Amino acid sequence: MKIQYLPHTADIRMKIEGSTLEELFMAGVLGMGNILREGFCDKNGPFVLKSKIELMAQDETCLLIDFLSWVLSTSYSEKAIFCEVVIFELTRKKIRVEIHGKQQAQGFDEEIKAVTYHEADVHKNNNGDWETLIIFDI
Amino acid sequence: MKINKTDIHKIEDFLWEIPKAFRPKMRVPARILASEPLLDAIMDDRSLVQLVNVASLPGIKGASLVMPDVHEGYGFPIGGVAATLYPEGAISPGGIGYDINCGVRLLTSNQKIEEIKDKLEGLSKELYAQIPSGMGKGGQIKLSAQEMDEVLLKGAEWAVEKGYGVKEDLDFMESKGRLENADPSMVSDMAKKRGTDQLGTIGSGNHFVEVDYVEEIYEETIAEAYGLSKGQVVVLIHTGSRGLGHQVATDNIRRIMSAMPKYGIEVPDRELACVPFNSEEGQHYFKAMCAAANYAWCNREVISWEARTAWRNIFGPAIEPLKLMYDVAHNIAKVETHLVDGKQAQVIVHRKGATRAFGPGFEELPESYKLLGQPVIIPGSMGTCSYVLAGAARSNELTFGSCCHGAGRRLSRTAAKKQVNAPVLKENLKEKGIYVEAGSFKGLAEEAPIAYKDVNIVVETVIDSGIAKKVAKLKPVVVVKG
Repeated sequence: MKIQYLPHTADIRMKIEGSTLEELFMAGVLGMGNILREGFCDKNGPFVLKSKIELMAQDETCLLIDFLSWVLSTSYSEKAIFCEVVIFELTRKKIRVEIHGKQQAQGFDEEIKAVTYHEADVHKNNNGDWETLIIFDI
Repeated sequence: MKINKTDIHKIEDFLWEIPKAFRPKMRVPARILASEPLLDAIMDDRSLVQLVNVASLPGIKGASLVMPDVHEGYGFPIGGVAATLYPEGAISPGGIGYDINCGVRLLTSNQKIEEIKDKLEGLSKELYAQIPSGMGKGGQIKLSAQEMDEVLLKGAEWAVEKGYGVKEDLDFMESKGRLENADPSMVSDMAKKRGTDQLGTIGSGNHFVEVDYVEEIYEETIAEAYGLSKGQVVVLIHTGSRGLGHQVATDNIRRIMSAMPKYGIEVPDRELACVPFNSEEGQHYFKAMCAAANYAWCNREVISWEARTAWRNIFGPAIEPLKLMYDVAHNIAKVETHLVDGKQAQVIVHRKGATRAFGPGFEELPESYKLLGQPVIIPGSMGTCSYVLAGAARSNELTFGSCCHGAGRRLSRTAAKKQVNAPVLKENLKEKGIYVEAGSFKGLAEEAPIAYKDVNIVVETVIDSGIAKKVAKLKPVVVVKG
């Protein structure tokens, strides 16, 4: 999986890639966790806090954004950062997962207001990998 | 879609238009309020493409508009205004933004800058201690489920009732700090959960609490009525509805996106998702948005209480309390009456990064401001300056009674971090007499003055276009950020 943070005038533009759709969703969670607190997901395991979710959406792009929005909301309500995903089921329109994270008593570095649909487009690139841009409202 | 300078027609020195014929789906022209150099700068990002997209909203009237501080957003540009015909025109959560009723208020003191210069550093630390950022931690107040519903219903009144506010403040807030259409039952459990412990917190990003002094007065009569005088110390507070509002927007964009096919609506960007205002989904969002707006007014009132506490702790219990000059929203939708196609009509005005700027005679204004126009507060960046303006009658003619809301970003956060050494910036500002307390150096670098347009040029543009009058210029001396 590949995560890049690209320039944006006011917000954060993240590009994620994965060789499978599963990997793309995992990259989304990891990339967002590391925005909430820089490098948090790279060094703070094990991630023992768990939460399950099942979501449906009209296509894979909406599914990814809705899923990340739910992870973000759970981060705020649990005061935790989530870094890992165990995927039980993933289709173009449905996801059933368990996310793993850790409570973060020191708070977050960055407050993400929302995961937006703007510029999001889950598709296969020329290398056959899944990719999309995601704009986080800061 | 690419927009070239040749696609843009000059209407007046500060007003430019992309005609309706530019793209088949446009229902109205797109208009830009800017000087020519600002227009050239605006063309550097995708703001104008987004403005053209907004012109295709169902029921849009007049023109889709951007103010001179515009920058690229998501769906709608930040600094945008769009009015749709009431009651069947579109309502779009993207036209309000995720931070519902993000806004700014100004509190006045009876102290002069010369009297408190030696206490500024202590004041900055005390304000930082009293006003939490609340990023993933929470503030001092924990709301029960019943209290949450009361906040969503009553807005700033709740803070006053509970002793966190001052009754006299209510008259000096847009809509008196309470939107009547709020319905707490339209706000999701997740949104309420996120808002449980965030009253009295500022958050991060461009939100702040700032102490300034009045450096210059331009309109003596208006300044006097607003309670402003040269050298006077004032406090600016910029924040919104926090996680609760963000969740209301997220929930409703999703709901509205799913409902659009039912109404035969297609939009060029998912973030422009919209439905008729009088539809079930439109009313659900509007009532939830009003509730979130009330939460934001309550939040700014509680932060004012925290600032007043800090003030007493530094200057002693006998000090005259800070007094609210005005509180304005800059991310909101409201049903207002405006001139449309030559007739007075009710429209749903979406303001996203734009401030209401009604001219003299507006009924809602406090008596002392009524003949002068609504106060418009324009924060600049830390280290530069901010302005107090007064709305003028021409804003009703040109911009559905709206004005700019700030300086507007120029550099991306990444670019700002690359160019700014935050510890050095903090020291440089201190040498200039500006004390900064911030949650992180990263946040400080992202919000450095270099990241913003020149607020002086933005303000000159709105003044020259006649939509507002320049009343006072403020210089910062203390900046507190999340």
